[in-house]
Amino acid sequence: MNDMRLTERVVTDTAKMTARGVQVHYGTNHALKDVDVDILDKTVTAFIGPSGCGKSTFLRCLNRMNDTVASARVTGKIEMDGQDIYDPRVDPVQLRAKVGMVFQKPNPFPKSIYDNVAYGPKIHGLARGKAELDEIVETSLKKAALWNEVKDRLSAPGTGLSGGQQQRLCIARAVATSPEVLLMDEPCSALDPIATAQVEELIDELRSQFSVVIVTHSMQQAARVSQRTAFFHLGYLVEYGETGKIFTNPDDPRTESYITGRIG
Amino acid sequence: MSLGLLLLLLLALTAIAFVAGRQRALASVRGDARDLHSLPGYYGQTVALFTAVPALLFTLLWLLVQPVLIERNVTAMILPEDIAVGSSRDLVMADVRRIAEGMAVLQARESLADGEIAALATQPDALKDRLSSVGVALAADIRPHIAEAALEYRAETAFGRSVMGAGALGLAVAGFLLSLWRLTPQFRARNVVERFTGVLLIAASSIAILTTAGIIFSLVFETYHFFELYPARDFFLNLTWSPKFGGGSELGLWPLLWGTMYVSFIALLVAVPIGLMSAIYLSEYASPAIRSVAKPAIEILAGIPSIVYGLFALMTVGPFLRDWFAQPLGLGDSSSSVMTAGIVMGIMLIPYVSSLSDDIINAVPQAMRDGSYALGATQSETIRQVVFPAALPGIVGAILMAGSRAIGETMIVVLGAGAAAKLDLNPFEAMTTVTVKIVSQLTGDTEFASPETLVAFALGLTLFVFTLGLNILALYIVRKYREQYE
Repeated sequence: MNDMRLTERVVTDTAKMTARGVQVHYGTNHALKDVDVDILDKTVTAFIGPSGCGKSTFLRCLNRMNDTVASARVTGKIEMDGQDIYDPRVDPVQLRAKVGMVFQKPNPFPKSIYDNVAYGPKIHGLARGKAELDEIVETSLKKAALWNEVKDRLSAPGTGLSGGQQQRLCIARAVATSPEVLLMDEPCSALDPIATAQVEELIDELRSQFSVVIVTHSMQQAARVSQRTAFFHLGYLVEYGETGKIFTNPDDPRTESYITGRIG
Repeated sequence: MSLGLLLLLLLALTAIAFVAGRQRALASVRGDARDLHSLPGYYGQTVALFTAVPALLFTLLWLLVQPVLIERNVTAMILPEDIAVGSSRDLVMADVRRIAEGMAVLQARESLADGEIAALATQPDALKDRLSSVGVALAADIRPHIAEAALEYRAETAFGRSVMGAGALGLAVAGFLLSLWRLTPQFRARNVVERFTGVLLIAASSIAILTTAGIIFSLVFETYHFFELYPARDFFLNLTWSPKFGGGSELGLWPLLWGTMYVSFIALLVAVPIGLMSAIYLSEYASPAIRSVAKPAIEILAGIPSIVYGLFALMTVGPFLRDWFAQPLGLGDSSSSVMTAGIVMGIMLIPYVSSLSDDIINAVPQAMRDGSYALGATQSETIRQVVFPAALPGIVGAILMAGSRAIGETMIVVLGAGAAAKLDLNPFEAMTTVTVKIVSQLTGDTEFASPETLVAFALGLTLFVFTLGLNILALYIVRKYREQYE
């Protein structure tokens, strides 16, 4: 593993989002039990754990995507910059503009590459005029390291790109609304190793602008890209701390078992 | 031998064949089914198939060919002087057939011998009386020659039937014995059954295709006849429709086509927005409880016969539109109007549009919606900008489907828009459509050789080409854009 990068990580200490006592029920199923996490600003936080452990559920609490699931019930407190995001005064639609999300399977809209990226800025009225919108699209695509590959065919359908390109398009789409936090739900699980490497590199670059939360099944990936790691098991947050410490010297025996491959 | 008895015998033979085939297969491996290539049942099915299929095919073929051959023989017996003035050979032949049938009834009811019937045939007047006593009434007197022809018809039919029975049973027994004799443990009975299933399915689908082809062929044929009697130029370019059965008709297509398009256009104008919006509500907004009630309720609309909609148009919508819109606005005082028919037809089409669109909208992957919500879009923004464009090809298909239905609709137009062929822009004016005129040209006491009746086929063909075009367009659109989000 890349030990050099493990040691040279700079970790800021300001918390961007704080979660306290978060519980999630899907109908009668208690999916997430009493989770406390601080998501730090300008940091990559990785959520690891076996399937069904609640890590994706928790991720979807952070931008209130669970609101779209009729049976989901979220309790506890999640704050962003000191503001409770489940407060009735908070508009979930506005929140999602600030907390972007990239999904497991690339899901570009059946529109042109340009329109895919311009979608967010358009609905939030971020651009004054066509020139500014072009500018946003270009910078977003550049941030997603896709610009050089698609600059000549911005009007081609986004669904015609390869899997890795589609996922970077979805990242560009999320970046275009200038979010403060970017949530990624197993963004590389449908990608080949080369595309995975490109996306990981991208995550590392995006860290300079906002916090990134990534759910992953690959522990190597968590170790490579993140500064903080949270280990979930059976709906509980087992351990949360610096990535280097989690992977080399975990406090909880369950974390160690998972990392060494004994459970999961 | 009667046909029913023959089929019953064949069925029994087939059942025996199944049991025998199965037994023989098992016996050939001394009861150990594992040594057989296929399960024992497949051997039974194979033998049963070889028994039944050739015999049934033979029977079917015989039933088709026999009447044609006998008809030809007997028709040749009819002399020119047998045909009365104003009658035709076909009509005389119909009499022959009825006399033959009457003889059969007479024989069955009074248990006469064949000889007695033959004797009766030599006395035409007595024959006529006896026939009318069993309910077979004939218009003209029976000429002796015709009675002979009827006897010949009877004789040939009876002979044909017995040959058919013998042939079919012979084929069945031969197939049974041959397949039983050829049965070995290595015989691939499974594959035979498999191939038979394939052929059966192909036959079923070719029936559908051949029927369509037959319909088109007959339409084209009759249309050709029509254009021999009436110039195609006038049909396509004349702007007046006024058929006169005395001759001198003007049979221009345009007033009817215009009516059809106008009514369909109004119908779609009603059905598409309402249908689409209710589909969006049902698929995106409605809770499962509401959806489970509302969706069937809308689909009930599709189950109402169109004549009931027609009554609704005639009794309610027509007078309402006349009293509240047409008369106050000075646009006419007719209660049947394009508007009436269009609106009611639109209501009829709502469930088509909404049900099809609902399925299509539901088929848009949830990932699309999630992607949009995650960018901070509201539900209506998501529907307008992501879900709807993704579902558009299917929705266009649904709309064109509804359009074809609107074009083909007849009853609502008869009761709602009237039967006057007119070229007019005023939607409160009575007009009519192609389908209504097809009905009115073909019903009533008309002969089938005048342009006034044959025009119905030309109209039918026009309509067919029209809806076919729409359906092809719909298929093309759906195919072209279908995989866009996959």
